[in-house]
Formats: sequence, C-alpha cells, structure tokens
Amino acid sequence: MLILDTKKVTKRFGGLTAVNQVSMQVEEGQVYGLIGPNGAGKSTFINSIVGRFPPTEGVVYFNGEETTGLSAEIMCHKGMARTFQIPRPFPQLTVLENVKVGVIFGSVDKDPMPADERAREILKFVDFNLPIDTPADRLNAVQLKSIDLARALACKPKLLLLDELASGLTPGELDTIMSLILKIRDQGISIIAVEHIMRVIKGICDTVMVIEYGTTIAEGTPDEVLNNPEVIKAYLGEEEAENA
Amino acid sequence: MAKNSSARPLMSRIKDNLPIVVISIFSLILFVAIYIEGGNAQIFNTIITGGMWALLAVGLALVFGVMNIPHFAHGESFMIGAYVAYFTFTPMQEYLYTNPNKFLSAIAPLGAILTAGVAGAILGIIIEQLIFAPLRRRTKKDWIMNAFLLTVGISFVLSNGANLVLGPNFRGISRYWDVKAVEIGGAYMSVDRLIAFAISMVTIGALWFFLRRTRVGRAIRAVSQDETGAQLVGINLNFIQTLTFSLATAMASISGASLLFLFQAYPTVGGTPLYYAWYVVMMAGLGNVVGAIIGGFIVALLQTATQLFVAVSWTTVLPTVVMILVLLIAPSGIFGSEVKGVQEQ
Repeated sequence: MLILDTKKVTKRFGGLTAVNQVSMQVEEGQVYGLIGPNGAGKSTFINSIVGRFPPTEGVVYFNGEETTGLSAEIMCHKGMARTFQIPRPFPQLTVLENVKVGVIFGSVDKDPMPADERAREILKFVDFNLPIDTPADRLNAVQLKSIDLARALACKPKLLLLDELASGLTPGELDTIMSLILKIRDQGISIIAVEHIMRVIKGICDTVMVIEYGTTIAEGTPDEVLNNPEVIKAYLGEEEAENA
Repeated sequence: MAKNSSARPLMSRIKDNLPIVVISIFSLILFVAIYIEGGNAQIFNTIITGGMWALLAVGLALVFGVMNIPHFAHGESFMIGAYVAYFTFTPMQEYLYTNPNKFLSAIAPLGAILTAGVAGAILGIIIEQLIFAPLRRRTKKDWIMNAFLLTVGISFVLSNGANLVLGPNFRGISRYWDVKAVEIGGAYMSVDRLIAFAISMVTIGALWFFLRRTRVGRAIRAVSQDETGAQLVGINLNFIQTLTFSLATAMASISGASLLFLFQAYPTVGGTPLYYAWYVVMMAGLGNVVGAIIGGFIVALLQTATQLFVAVSWTTVLPTVVMILVLLIAPSGIFGSEVKGVQEQ
C-alpha cells in the first residue's frame, strides 16, 4: 500500500517554480531517499506535503486519503511528523518537556501510558544520553536534532520526514543515526529522508529520488540512481561526468 | 543550573542580576519613603494602582509574547470595557433604585464587569479573525512593524468610532457599591477600589493557572516559544492565537469596567492606561508575563512617589525617565525578555 502518493506537486513563489510536477510514491515501510543539490527544492517539497506551504498545483494522497493543502497541525494528527534541518525545539523547556509536548498534543488518540513515561521511553529509544532535565537551550546541534527526532516520534507518526538529519554528524555518529533510522522503520514507520551524505543514502534507502531545479531527474534504487549520468552531471558538473 | 548558582558567591550572583537588584533596592527605598510621608493610605493606594497596571500589562505581555504584536489598541479594549460596564450597570442601577434589593445591588456591578469581559473577549476574536489572521496568512515579513501599524489603526478606528456613535460625552458612575469606605490600618479605602484590586488579582491568578495547568494554556506557552515547532507537534496555531488575543482584550475590558468609578467612559479614555501598561511592559521586558505583574507595582510606586514628593503633574515623567534608563542599561528589560521571535525576525 502507498503511504504517500503525490501527483505532479508544484510549488511556485511568485515567478519562481521551486518544485515542478514532482510525483512521488512511497510504499509503506519503506525508507525513501530524496536527494539533490543545494536549493533543488527538496525542503520546499517536504514543506508542501506537510502543510507548511500548501502546493500551488498537484494532489497529495496520504495513507489513501487526499490531504492536499491541509495545515501542519492536521497533518500531524493524521500521522505525518517531521524534523527540521535546523531544529526547532522549545528553548525554555527541558529535554523531557520538549518531548512531552509532542506526546500530549501530537496525536489525537489517547495514549494509555502517562505522557511522562512515554516521553522517557522515546528518549531512551533515540539514545539520548544527557540528563533529561537539561534545558533545551543548552544543547548542541546534534543533541537538538536528537530531541527534534524524539518529539516527532512522540506524535506517533505513520510517515516520518527527516530533513538532513545526518548533516553535521561525525562518521561515528552517522552509524548510530543510520541504525536508529532502520530501527524506526522496523517499528512500522515509513520514512522519507532528505539527505546529502551518500553513505547514509546507500546504507538505508530502499528507493531514491533525485531532484534538480525542482524537477525529478532520476528515481530508483540507490545504486541505479548514483550511477545515472544525469545525476552525476547535476552533482559534479558536465566535464566531470564525461570523465567518469 | 539552579544548583550551580546557589553555590556561587553572593557577589557574582548580584552582578549577574544587577538590574533586578538595583530596581529592588530602589523600589524598597521608594516604598519606605512613601510610608514615612504618606502612611498606610498611600501604601494601599500604590498597591491597588499596581494591581490595575499589572492586569493591563499582563495582557500586553501575553499578546507580545505569543503573537509578537506590539498592541497599541489595548487602551481601546479598556475603553470598550468601560462603556459596556456603564451601559449595563446604569439601567440595573435605576431598576434597583425603584426596587431596592440588597443582594442584587451587591451582585449587579459584578454582572456588569463580567459582561464587559465577555464583550472584550468577543471584540478580541473579531479583531483577530478580521485583521491579524488574514495578515498572518498573507505574509510574515516585517510582521512586527505591520502588526504595530495595524494596532495603531485599530485604536484610531475604535476611539473615533466611539466618538461618532456615542459622542464625546463623559459617562461615569460615582461608585459601584453604595457602602461606606472600609478602614484598614487607619486608612479609609473605598470598597470599589478594594474590589477592583481583588478582581485584577483573581484574573491574573486565573490566567496563571490557565497557562500553567491546562492543556490549552500549555499550548499557548509552546506557541510563545516556537510557533513552527508547536504547529508541527499538532497545535492549532490559528486557534491559539485567536484565543490569546481574545484573552488579552478581555483582561483590558475587565480592568476598564472595574475602574469605571475612576476613569469615566469617553472615547479616548484608553490613552493613559495604555501608556502606563507600556511603561510596565518595556521596563519588565517585552513578552515577560511574570515581569509584567511585578512591573505593574514598580510603576505604581514611581507614580505615588512622584505625586507625593514632586507634583501630580509630573506623574508620567518619572516612569518615563526610569523606562529610558532601563532601556539604556538593560535593553531587554529588568526581568529580561524571553521573546525569541523578535530576534529571529
């Protein structure tokens, strides 16, 4: 079953077409990679399906239901959660409280477990190893990404969108985050990962889509896509592509 | 963090919180001076005035903290509250004049004030949905400036609208409760003043409880810290912002209504309370709700001190001077501003 099905999603800002007719089919239980050079429109595409900026044209089906242009909080309740390239924590709350906000407001069905306990469980799941009463404004970028992820998981998503979760991590941390992403998938959560780091893409993605100037230029398994001349051209330039 | 700071030497803690320490000492001196010069009566007067400013300033701080709106039409909510209270209270008063009833005369003013609060809440919803919600959907660029200009516009429309519909006449009452003044510690306080103070404290307390202990209140605090983050965990921004604005407007209307015996209702009655509320908010730190409560009492101290030691006509001067000093020395206010949105934009 398709968890996400977008048909020719287009997003224009004035005269600029940031996303041009992108159709993406994500199977349930898949890790779907979305790659492309900086400014290709990856984040804009993500934003237009989660309801931050509704798409100018096109249709979005989520979990078999049309959700085009619904607002972010409704998408969250329907089961679509996301993390940000630059994390958006609540700075004056502690780590635990940040995750609790997700537990309390993120999902419409009542959790039998108390919010406190559930938040602790999620923090354990993402391997957050600092004291959980640390205020969020004292965390570094990597720790912030990790509570951003925990907060997204707290909303009980069916589909999780990760916007450059792995950027800025050390090679050791990359392994941890890759196994964490796979662990999340094994819980039955489908994932769309916007990513730059090829190692992560090869390591976790089942299917990859490449977009450039807002247009899809390739789609397939990681190996297929990364050997596609169009993709090499987009990333490395024309001459390098000829040499390769 | 709390553990760390308690272990640190006293001097460095004083240094870290210098604006708070200075203003506390300054307030204490003023307090003692007022007590020596004016006695209990002036002290009570200060506390009661402080309660009023606090109630108004809390609304301003809330709107700024959650929505980043520098609300310059807050005084008009005060004005509307005063009018609504006047027009609901006077007919009741006339009725009670011909049909005396002790219980009803005790309860009627509260009814009028409550009606004013409800009217304020409705006014808030209308303004938010009609003016700020469309702006929010259109663009968030230069939000603070745009919102500021809009509130100034709203203020003009409402005060001139009141002038057009109701005329420039002063409409006031001499008192809500027709009972003798109460003696407290040798000072006579009118029941109206005491109840106005009680109402402002109860309202602030209720707001405090609402923000801290209820689900929706917690959502409001989440929005004040990070709008986008809050929306992504499933908080309905539009609802929260409308609610916040309507709460603030209702609080201003309640204070306008409960002070009707002091400020008669006329189209531009909101000016003075608005400026005092802004003194408080700027001094305490924009968007800082707790700071606004304490700040209300500090401004009242300054006011009473000026009236006692300088001259009544200088009442607004001293708070302004202190406000300028605070802005020069501690630009984010005495208690600091926790508003993140401003720096981001």
